[in-house]
Amino acid sequence: MTHERAWERLPDLLHSREQPELLAHVSGCHACQRQLFLLGRVDRLLRQARPHSRHLRHQSVLRRRSVSLLATLAAAAAAAVVLLLFLPRVPGAHRVVLRTADGRAVARATIARADQSNVEVSLVARGMTRGGGDQFLLWAQPDKGAGATPVGRFMVDRSGSCRAHFNLPTGQHWTRLWVTPASDPAQVVAST
Amino acid sequence: MSSQPLDRPRAQREGFRAAGPSDAELLVAVAAGSEPAFEELHRRYRPAVENACRSLAGGDADDCAQEVFTRIWRKAALFDAARGSAAAWLLTLARNVARNVRAKRRLTPIPVTEDALIEEGPTLDRFWLEAALERLPPQERTVIELAYYDDRSQSEIASSLGVPLGTVKGWTRRGLNRLATLLGDEGQAT
Repeated sequence: MTHERAWERLPDLLHSREQPELLAHVSGCHACQRQLFLLGRVDRLLRQARPHSRHLRHQSVLRRRSVSLLATLAAAAAAAVVLLLFLPRVPGAHRVVLRTADGRAVARATIARADQSNVEVSLVARGMTRGGGDQFLLWAQPDKGAGATPVGRFMVDRSGSCRAHFNLPTGQHWTRLWVTPASDPAQVVAST
Repeated sequence: MSSQPLDRPRAQREGFRAAGPSDAELLVAVAAGSEPAFEELHRRYRPAVENACRSLAGGDADDCAQEVFTRIWRKAALFDAARGSAAAWLLTLARNVARNVRAKRRLTPIPVTEDALIEEGPTLDRFWLEAALERLPPQERTVIELAYYDDRSQSEIASSLGVPLGTVKGWTRRGLNRLATLLGDEGQAT
């Protein structure tokens, strides 16, 4: 299967994974893995937007109040997570948030110049899902040029949390980070 | 401003052309005084801004939306892509305008609607999604909305639109891929 053909058919994987030829291409293609991750987020966003579509706006007040209460609680929880993830801040550093396919922020990385040769990546993870074990691999890709670069391995505790520091060479603008289980580099669990 | 799509290396590499200039590129052009760029931004974000104003400013939604786009025209130069996405900047602007509209309204007692009590305004994700859908070709947007919002099967969509099932599948795939690429290029990733 050509890359162009696989790329076109990636949305099919949102509904069925029983497509061995397509999956075989995706397992070896970082661009398709990232696109599939983004498709998962789009799919989730569209499903979340559904109750607010014009066809479903006339719901009962009681149900809407319940949704509002849940949303408020979720927002409070999200705010607490964001506070944990965003502090402390390093002035002048580049910060990115890594999210799961459903949009949940599970890690924050600060990329700051360490010395003439290195930039330091400080990773703070919270609530990483440990389905594939507690070992994860952080990957990076510059905005231009080179492909995926393994940054380093890290291990989370029972709550899926950890703090880790890594170094990357200067000379590139490292804009994209993602995390995979250490045992399965093809499975993106969170990405910027 | 040129009407040609701006150069998008990643999209070209993947054999996919995204839907015209990015929101950030439009804001930069608006800051330089481009009316076509402003019109395109208005086309993309008008429904999202109106919805945000409706949920945040209630009965003054029309005034609110008009004021939001007036401020976009005046203040586009303040947008800094390094500090956040264009959608985030626009939503913040809409929230600030709505807050001002509500504050003025408090000077005179008005009945509070249930919507005003319940709605907290759109999330950034939903605000972005609404504008991103505006950037899809009409047929791609239609099949995606029918599938996700009306819960129609692809066969039902094909039947109601009077087109072959394969055409619906193709439009759906292309639309979803286009949204995913937009999300990756300029969405709420950071």
